[in-house]
Amino acid sequence: MKKLLLVVLFLVGLGWALTTFPGLAVEGSYNSIILDFREDVGAAQIESQIEAIAKTYSASPRYNSEFSLADHIFIMPGDKKLLDTLKSSDLRKYTEFIEPDYIYRTYAVPNDPEYGKQWNLRSINVEPAWDQTKGKGITVAVIDTGISQVPDLLDTNFVGGYDFVNDRTNVRDDNGHGTHVAGTIAQATNNKFGVAGIAYEANLMPLKVLSAEGGGTVADIAEAIRFAADQKADVINMSLGGGGESQLMKEAIDYAHSKGVVIVAAAGNAGRNAAEYPARYPHVIGVSALDSAGSKAPYSNYGAGIDISAPGGLINGEDKTGGILQNTLNPQTGESVFEAFQGTSMAAPHVSGVVALIKAAGVTNPDEIEEVIKQSALVVQEDNLNHFGAGKLDAAAAVKLAAQGKISFQDFFRWLRDNGYLNPRFWIDGGVISLGPKLAMVLGSYLLAWLLKIYFPFAWTWSLSSGLVMGSTGIFFLRGVYLFDAPQWPFRLMGSSLAEMGSAVQLSSGLNPFFASVLIPLGLVLLLLGHRTWKGFAIGSAIGMAVFLAIAAITTPTLMWIGDGIPASLFLAANAFLCLGLARLVVKPEGRIA
Amino acid sequence: MSIQVEGTIERKGFGTGTWALVSSSETYELHKAPADLQKAGIKVKISGQIREDVMTIAMIGPVLEVASFELVD
Repeated sequence: MKKLLLVVLFLVGLGWALTTFPGLAVEGSYNSIILDFREDVGAAQIESQIEAIAKTYSASPRYNSEFSLADHIFIMPGDKKLLDTLKSSDLRKYTEFIEPDYIYRTYAVPNDPEYGKQWNLRSINVEPAWDQTKGKGITVAVIDTGISQVPDLLDTNFVGGYDFVNDRTNVRDDNGHGTHVAGTIAQATNNKFGVAGIAYEANLMPLKVLSAEGGGTVADIAEAIRFAADQKADVINMSLGGGGESQLMKEAIDYAHSKGVVIVAAAGNAGRNAAEYPARYPHVIGVSALDSAGSKAPYSNYGAGIDISAPGGLINGEDKTGGILQNTLNPQTGESVFEAFQGTSMAAPHVSGVVALIKAAGVTNPDEIEEVIKQSALVVQEDNLNHFGAGKLDAAAAVKLAAQGKISFQDFFRWLRDNGYLNPRFWIDGGVISLGPKLAMVLGSYLLAWLLKIYFPFAWTWSLSSGLVMGSTGIFFLRGVYLFDAPQWPFRLMGSSLAEMGSAVQLSSGLNPFFASVLIPLGLVLLLLGHRTWKGFAIGSAIGMAVFLAIAAITTPTLMWIGDGIPASLFLAANAFLCLGLARLVVKPEGRIA
Repeated sequence: MSIQVEGTIERKGFGTGTWALVSSSETYELHKAPADLQKAGIKVKISGQIREDVMTIAMIGPVLEVASFELVD
């Protein structure tokens, strides 16, 4: 009886834990249903089924079009209730599938003739965002090599800037980089010429800090940041980086942030772990680069300091189709050219453009804007090295979330960083940890231990508690800790639970079946059974591991060598029960431990 | 910081292009590279300063301001 009770209680605890796990993504809307009859079902049979449906549900299915005759595809008006009824009816036998007829909308495509080559704009899903806003009234400061008004920037709005290199108000570009970056943000769009930009109704503020050679000093850049903040820029784009930590720069960034400016910077192109300065300062959104296939571009920095990823392009020798195409100038001749560039320099202005759209959609607080950018990003599963930050930039989702206007702060780690508990030598990747399941595991294992204690009284000791934590989650927040310019695997290992340790260092997506099993708790029990204090740790680890394995069996059953799916689920579930049985076995004989 | 590095000159395709010195352990971005140095493939020994106060569009590694260089084979 007690056994049964234990199992029931275990399942209740597990069920409760799982209810806190985030559900599936919200699906689209529909008001009709698709029926696809099997190919081998005869016309007469189909007809009788259709008649039966018409009679029972007072709705008549009809062919979707004359082309659907051969495929036996019908559509009928209906909602979720009818869909569920149909799916569980006899009709199921005659059909290949019954599914919602989701409503798709088409969006206006800009008339710029070269728009078709801008894979990057489609990959950030910008067209639906333009339905809401094009960034009107927002000012984006481009701290770069200057901006020249090439033909495809003639219809773009400009506000006064400054040339900090030559100390003058004419901010002509003598390199071509700044003009290109400005184009991604606000190239004249729907003007039947050239290419498109993201926030093409926003204003550009040109600030030149880099020479024709493409370099500039921290002193000039810091001054430009303050200038932008004082001249009421809403967004600052810095497609530049390098050098060391600078108090001057940090103070300028904090000043701009305090004035409500959102600051975006490129992660750097050295292909290494850690973003460059200024991307790694607090209050700066660090952007890594994606190629046209959506992978991290090989040159892009990653890891510490990356907040989000966006298209930066990848040029393959003479083939420039994988680059980011904008209107700029040839620095030798000064002539207008349409040129494809690559780099995190190109990724950052995608984010700056979307920030302008978010602000135009009504979110004004810079922290909330950063939150919108991150929460709306397309999440990349299995991003253990933080190639992508919060995910891939999604303009449409960002504008939609901004329009809803309810932004909740979920990132406890960012709060830590912003409040000075962390400095630029440390960085925390909050996104690497899905907090919900982890909390569920800790709470689930405590609940289970508490239930076990009711029936088999034992003392609650600190060693039992540590066992519970190590068995279920480990010191999981360490997983997201980065030390700039140092390897990250020691943190991953320290941040793993016992079951995860077998795959933490080599970053396998699956669990190591030798570690994710009853073996470790069994070993610990055998080793520590005779020890007064540490016996609790063994029992705790068995209980914690039981909860970890049970939750893993349901949510992410992936094992090294075994793969995913049912075999992995069965393995994990069986070991969860073995761990539970082990805990019970150890607790029972004396009735009291420690 | 004053250093001496040996490596190969390469042209890196970021923005309109940048000159780099690729050594066995690090890629340096060349700052104020003299015209004679702007030849991809040549092996050189460069003396210069690492400019901690300079930021660039290329962001490929430490910025090395060239003081002098010599060809090596």
